[in-house]
Amino acid sequence: MRDELTIKSHAGYWLAALLLLAGLVVAGVGFATGDVFYLRLASEALIFGGLALSVDILLGYTGLLSLGQALHFGLGAYVSALALIATQSFWTAMGVALAAGVLGGLVGGFIANRVRGVYFALITFGMAQVSAKVVYNTRSLGASDGLIGVPVLDINFGFFSLSSASPTAFFLLALAILLLLYFLAAYLLDTPFGRLLIAVKANERRVPFLGYRTATLRLGSYVLAATIATLSGALYPMLRGFVSPELLFFSTSGNAVITVILGGAGTLVGALYGSVLLTVIKSVVGSWTEHHLIVIGLLFMVVVIFLPNGLMGLIQPGIRARLARGGRR
Amino acid sequence: MLEYAQFVLAPQIVTGLALGVAVILVALGLTIIFGLLDVINMSHGEFYALGAFIALALGQVGLPFWLLLVAVPVLILPIGYAVERGLIQRVFHSEDRHVTTLLLTFGFGLVLEDALRLTFGPNPFKPETPIRGTIEILGTYLPLYRLFMIVVGGLIIAGTALVVYRTRLGAMVRAAAFDRNMAASLGVPVERVYAGAFAFGVALAGLAGVLLAPIYSVFPTMGRDFILMAFTVIIVGGMGSIGGAVIAGLFLTQVQAIASLYISPVWTDPIVFAIMVLMLMVRPQGLRGRLGHA
Repeated sequence: MRDELTIKSHAGYWLAALLLLAGLVVAGVGFATGDVFYLRLASEALIFGGLALSVDILLGYTGLLSLGQALHFGLGAYVSALALIATQSFWTAMGVALAAGVLGGLVGGFIANRVRGVYFALITFGMAQVSAKVVYNTRSLGASDGLIGVPVLDINFGFFSLSSASPTAFFLLALAILLLLYFLAAYLLDTPFGRLLIAVKANERRVPFLGYRTATLRLGSYVLAATIATLSGALYPMLRGFVSPELLFFSTSGNAVITVILGGAGTLVGALYGSVLLTVIKSVVGSWTEHHLIVIGLLFMVVVIFLPNGLMGLIQPGIRARLARGGRR
Repeated sequence: MLEYAQFVLAPQIVTGLALGVAVILVALGLTIIFGLLDVINMSHGEFYALGAFIALALGQVGLPFWLLLVAVPVLILPIGYAVERGLIQRVFHSEDRHVTTLLLTFGFGLVLEDALRLTFGPNPFKPETPIRGTIEILGTYLPLYRLFMIVVGGLIIAGTALVVYRTRLGAMVRAAAFDRNMAASLGVPVERVYAGAFAFGVALAGLAGVLLAPIYSVFPTMGRDFILMAFTVIIVGGMGSIGGAVIAGLFLTQVQAIASLYISPVWTDPIVFAIMVLMLMVRPQGLRGRLGHA
């Protein structure tokens, strides 16, 4: 069946494949030139792209604007840092983060899904702010300094192993994990579950008449988003060697929202492209002024007013038209 | 027991009350804007910071404090008016107004915050307290400036309520909040009322910034911590309700002030947040009805 939504998700797959290709080129060039800085920056862009991906699942599909997604991202970062310091094992850290993601998603979703619309935005904002303040003042979590001394890892894949100290290897790992999370999300949102989330966004009152419980659907989408945010966050301490309470602050959540809007809400792949775009803008603008927020804020406002579908709104129609023609042939 | 009330409890209650009045001023602006325009103003905290910074700059030039209380809101009014007409109206009729206007005001807040950092630098300023000294009431020593804040803030809150509920202008505002089209067809200049209400709301936030500047430090991100309390107040009080904002503002700041006597101040935020979540479970519409509807 090739309806509008299938074509849209296929266009997303093509763009994700393009991102993979570009990532491989970056890794190759980076490896050849022995670069550290840009590979680390690119890895960070991917990791924050995962956070944006989770915001897009809520905003672009279920129609829920989360202003506190950094809560789950930070949870993943802290849980992973603690696990890494204790066990030095990548797989343990990711396993613990997965559990924390699902659990955190259930708890957060239970609280936030009591309300809808702007209330949802404000309650997620509140949850994240309160948690950030508690972490910021908890001595055992390093308080305002955060947790430092996350060890360098040897990540064992059975038949080969990677070191997190190698910028190229870690970049490739981040690329693989983020694309995996993307394809998982894209697959799940292309199933009837995903169609129902779109239905919830379009008309929440109508969905129960079709025989579905909106509460379950909304919780499902929240847990999925939270898990993706937590797993992305878990990669952060491996990249930087530390975690700090700033990861939970509103600036992190706000950045993820900006990323999604720049990339194009409701496209999933737009979140990853948006993150790359935002990182590029930040480092280009940041090279001549430290006040990049003015530039980003203005750009963001222009996109909100004039380009409601973001970057993907500019490039996806062409790809979609191509795919639609291919389908008829 | 009496000494405890005199020296611990009473000063804490007065401190909480002074903060409460400032929170209500900020929340009042938010709730009027939401009640009338259906817009969550994410840049509200930055307008609060803008007020504190304008007061700081004018104070350095040598303007007396009482004049700042008038000059700052008057200076912020046209900025608010322009933001409403130039930005918010552009997306006001889009499909998902709540989200789009929230995002737009969020973007504007980022720009405003960075502009403040560009002008004044990132470091905090600590203006001098304009009214020094304490006064003894029933054996309790209270700082005069806090009492001054309570009186001035209380008068402004009462004045706002009076204007909204007892004047012709207020009737137009309530009519526009109740039914925009009907009000427009009866000759209410709805667009000017909208922009005026937004300007008035952010001017109130700026005024709170002037009042609180001598107590807290003044820095570009000062609005961020403060705005959460204001959001909590308008959710508990009922979004778009003036009376609700006053009741919830007084109640929540007292909870915070008194709880911090017994537990670490860090944990007062989760308590206030828990009250908000409980309120949303029991009575999602908040304490009181929306502007124009009750």
